[in-house]
Amino acid sequence: MINKKIFWLMLVTIMFVFAACGPSDSTGTDDAPEDVSGDTDTETENSGEDAEIAGDGEQITLNLWHIETGPSEETIEVAVERFEENNPNVTVEVSQQENDPYKSQLSVAMGGGNPPDVFHSWGGGWLKQFVDSDQVLDITDSVDASLYNEAALSVATFDHNIYGAPVSMDVVPVFYNKDMFEEYGLEEPETYDDLLDIVQTLSDNGVTPFALANQTKWTGSFYLMYLAERIGGPELFNEAFERSGRTFDDEAYVEAGRKIQELVEMGAFPEGVNGMNYDTGQSRQMLYTESAAMMTMGGWLVNNVRDEMPEFEDKLGFFLFPSVEGGEGAKNHVVGGVSPVFSVAQQTDHPELAAELVNELASLETATEMANNAGSISAVMGVEYDDPYIQEMSEVLESSEAMQTYYDQTLPPELAQVHLDTTQALFGLSMEPEEAMDEVEEKAEEVLEE
Amino acid sequence: MSRSQEISLDTVRVRKKRKNKDTWAIIGFIAPAFLIYGVYVIYSIFMTFYYSTFSWTGIDANMVFVGLENYIRLLQDGVFWTSIQNNFLLVIASLLTQLPVGLIMALLLFSPIKGMRLFRSVYFMPFLMSTVAIGILFIFIYEGNYGLLNTILGAVGLESLQTAWIGKESTAIWAVIATVCWQFAPFYMILFRATIVGIPEELYEAADIDGASGWQRFKNITLPLLMPIIITSAILSVIGSLKYFDLIYVMTGGGPNNSTELMATYMYKQTFTNFNMGYGSSISFSMFIIAFIVTVFILLGDRTRRGNE
Repeated sequence: MINKKIFWLMLVTIMFVFAACGPSDSTGTDDAPEDVSGDTDTETENSGEDAEIAGDGEQITLNLWHIETGPSEETIEVAVERFEENNPNVTVEVSQQENDPYKSQLSVAMGGGNPPDVFHSWGGGWLKQFVDSDQVLDITDSVDASLYNEAALSVATFDHNIYGAPVSMDVVPVFYNKDMFEEYGLEEPETYDDLLDIVQTLSDNGVTPFALANQTKWTGSFYLMYLAERIGGPELFNEAFERSGRTFDDEAYVEAGRKIQELVEMGAFPEGVNGMNYDTGQSRQMLYTESAAMMTMGGWLVNNVRDEMPEFEDKLGFFLFPSVEGGEGAKNHVVGGVSPVFSVAQQTDHPELAAELVNELASLETATEMANNAGSISAVMGVEYDDPYIQEMSEVLESSEAMQTYYDQTLPPELAQVHLDTTQALFGLSMEPEEAMDEVEEKAEEVLEE
Repeated sequence: MSRSQEISLDTVRVRKKRKNKDTWAIIGFIAPAFLIYGVYVIYSIFMTFYYSTFSWTGIDANMVFVGLENYIRLLQDGVFWTSIQNNFLLVIASLLTQLPVGLIMALLLFSPIKGMRLFRSVYFMPFLMSTVAIGILFIFIYEGNYGLLNTILGAVGLESLQTAWIGKESTAIWAVIATVCWQFAPFYMILFRATIVGIPEELYEAADIDGASGWQRFKNITLPLLMPIIITSAILSVIGSLKYFDLIYVMTGGGPNNSTELMATYMYKQTFTNFNMGYGSSISFSMFIIAFIVTVFILLGDRTRRGNE
């Protein structure tokens, strides 16, 4: 008898557990539309009061995923508030994520059929991967292309269709410590030979010339991108990427690799450069403690400095990577990138509203706040800068004749990884330049010529 | 005669009934755990294999069936072989350091030293720290220019040994393995200590009466009685090392130049960074096969050992 009772009790418990698991199970496996409408239902029930105030029956929830932090995160939140004011029946659920986990998070969400309506990207090859998989909505008709800087918009334009709207841009100069340059009687270099002299003088005086944390890999990639451009000219990368002329094993790339190794052998970079991590601040510490004098880094370095050691900003100057004598590139060609770019997921239930949210996130208003609070160059035209530093940076960008977007964000992810790995190996002197470039080209043939 | 038969038949029936009842109860108790196990382990293993037979980005609706092509590619992939090698280095290093160190620490905690409690907490501390915190801590310890380790080496006049521990391909994997062992030795210490506490005092008293030395007591009482837990720990340590991911991800990200890549980190990189869900799944499935084979060998070895006793 007792056994029987226990048995039934257990059965009921099990049923209860499964009943409880049921709904969440179905959201996991079923298609997104049902899931979203389910959410909306509960939303309407829960926020009946809100709906009354709005005077509108239907409550809609949009999901936004972004990776901004600090002042730029606040800017995003303010933009979302503006959007919600204009669309009282819409609630935007903002989810701020961390940079690297975000990438895998989004691909899992896309693959699992449950993506956010609006999401962050850097444009380029990474975004294209999703576009090719029919996961990103074409928003050409909803976006006013004339609002944006052409170069910035191009990172989210594929086959003349626009898949995202850019907010901010960055350029990569060489930052240096003005006091230290004065102390050792150094001047901003015009040519690569000048730069080599600076490196020599600094290392003779026991100072690490360049602070670089290359466990992060993209940090060292700047040097390769600049050297390759200075030697092979601004079209080198495009030809290799579009398979229309020179390739990734071109002599210019090999020469760039040799120059990196030459710098390494001169002691231009810190000891154990490949074990240092930019995100934990290891290279910036060297800059702050004046054990290193220069750093090739995106404009966001200033943001880091203001956060970590504001008084250091007075000492911080920058110049553009010098030209290589006899090379086809020029000093006013810059490496840069666009971030954030906001796109709409193909699977969204509310494409118009989501596109409208994108327009608000990439509006002149948001871009102005982003530029003046977070110190990034605006990708939206007509922004007036309060901050003299950003003003200066944006002038650099405007006067530049060519902009090279970061390889690792422009190339398809698999190829980008090979580029980053081989470049890191170059810095570690564990690969010959020829070997490294052959490996990139081999992967390029496989990935780009499919 | 007929009556007694009837009775015995009755008992059989009753027994059968009881048996049926028991079976249902057993099924009832096992079912929930089994269902969860089935969905999250068995089904996942099969799905991993299923995905591994496709060329698939993981985000695309379009999956191309390629059969065993991913596995053929895997066998020719130099980075994969490096990662297997690193995994086995980690297995061997874990077995040879974590278990002995754990055992020594456990034994030390039974010796009459002052401040035993303090040591107990101190020894166990590494295991309580979050892996990410440990990773970042050791990044700074191993740092090449101003790191703690190099500073200490310099202070004691060993400048020649100074190097960029995790920045060089030749030393990076060892630096990380040392950190992994530092983190996990306390875990085995706790397991061993708990077992030693459970060994009956009478055995040691009897040994004392027989005039056994400290070493003999250890060799003839403590060690044999610890053997089952040592085997369990060995399995845990081997499997853990084969699946290891966290500290590598935090400290080196598999670099420099893939020299510290493990199967799990390489799988992650292929799946989520390079958008090769199919290829990544074939790495996962290979990991499963390798771990499975190794476990079977350990269990077989243990069985023969027991058979010999």
